Amino acid sequence: MKIALINGSPKVGNSSSRWLLSELKTFLVQKEQTTEIIEIEMHTPVVAEQDMEALCGAQVWVFACPLYVDGIPSHLLSCLIQLEQEKRRWQNRGSRSYGIVNCGFYEGIQAETALELFNNWCAKAEACWGGGLGVGGGGGLSQMPDTKNGQGPKAPIRSALLEMADQIVACGEMENMYQSVAFPRSFYKMAAQMGWRKMIKANGKKVKDLGARPESRICGWEK
Amino acid sequence: MKLIITDLKEFQIPVTGIHKIIRPQRAIHPCIGCFGCWVKTPGSCVIADGYEQTGIDMGQCTELIYVSRCCYGSLSPFVKNVQDRAISYIHPDFVLRKGEMHHKRRYDNVISLSAYLYGEDITDAEKETARKILAANADNYDGVVKEIRFFKTEQELEGLML
Repeated sequence: MKIALINGSPKVGNSSSRWLLSELKTFLVQKEQTTEIIEIEMHTPVVAEQDMEALCGAQVWVFACPLYVDGIPSHLLSCLIQLEQEKRRWQNRGSRSYGIVNCGFYEGIQAETALELFNNWCAKAEACWGGGLGVGGGGGLSQMPDTKNGQGPKAPIRSALLEMADQIVACGEMENMYQSVAFPRSFYKMAAQMGWRKMIKANGKKVKDLGARPESRICGWEK
Repeated sequence: MKLIITDLKEFQIPVTGIHKIIRPQRAIHPCIGCFGCWVKTPGSCVIADGYEQTGIDMGQCTELIYVSRCCYGSLSPFVKNVQDRAISYIHPDFVLRKGEMHHKRRYDNVISLSAYLYGEDITDAEKETARKILAANADNYDGVVKEIRFFKTEQELEGLML
């Protein structure tokens, strides 16, 4: 079986979506050594022809992306529309699609609406929806220490990915799962806010500038 | 003050009162997830393509109105792109609201959100998702939902008065 892991983050480099897919890939290979994994980078609003061809040959598609304003990033939405428009090229492959959405908020359930979008896309594209995973506390995943012996802040996320991998290798359908990092919400909030302060200072500004209310340089209001 | 974000190049819907319409007049760059709008140029997007000030416009409006094709329950790529590029409307710090983590306010205005979504084959599931997303947007902006309506064609929208 060929599985396409699709990185739908706008970030080309390090990202939580990349980390989630990397972990999932490890589990998929452990479970089924004959599985062929292909990795698709979907960082722009257009699916490149070579990626489209690669996707046409895969039986399973797993999309991963960050939550953007309660939905998926606009560039990925454009890609889904393109995939739907070209569905005749790939829809006979008898496959399933899955989704992983990570959000900067603590609660994984906040990714529910984005997973619904993938489900609705499957219905329009005549694809089978296999289910998804909503990850809370995703903002820190790529910076958090690695899990050892099933412990650590990322442990529940890895457990959920392991469960998802079971379904994927079986081409099964699962209920959406929602999980958060094993890190108290108050600490997560504090760590994130310390991060913003560090970043704004590194840019030569003051902490109070985080709350700036700039004036508009471009007019355009009319009566 | 009404801020209207639409994917219609020719906007024929009458609007009363002071308003601004953001529509696809030039190419728009997608959000790159850099958080520069929070930590480099707080309040506006770092990508200077003519769409970088939407967060500031949102800080001045009382009504935010989306007029958009409905895509799987989402706004269309252009309108969603403008929305993605406007997260500077909110502050990066977190607060708890309705028991969930959301962003703190940057501005004092309370926005009422409306969505007028069109498409020939919008399914019931897509309508339900669209309703949930607008409600979630209102929670994140600490605003309120005014209304959401669905239309089969762009022409049907012309009967509206915003």
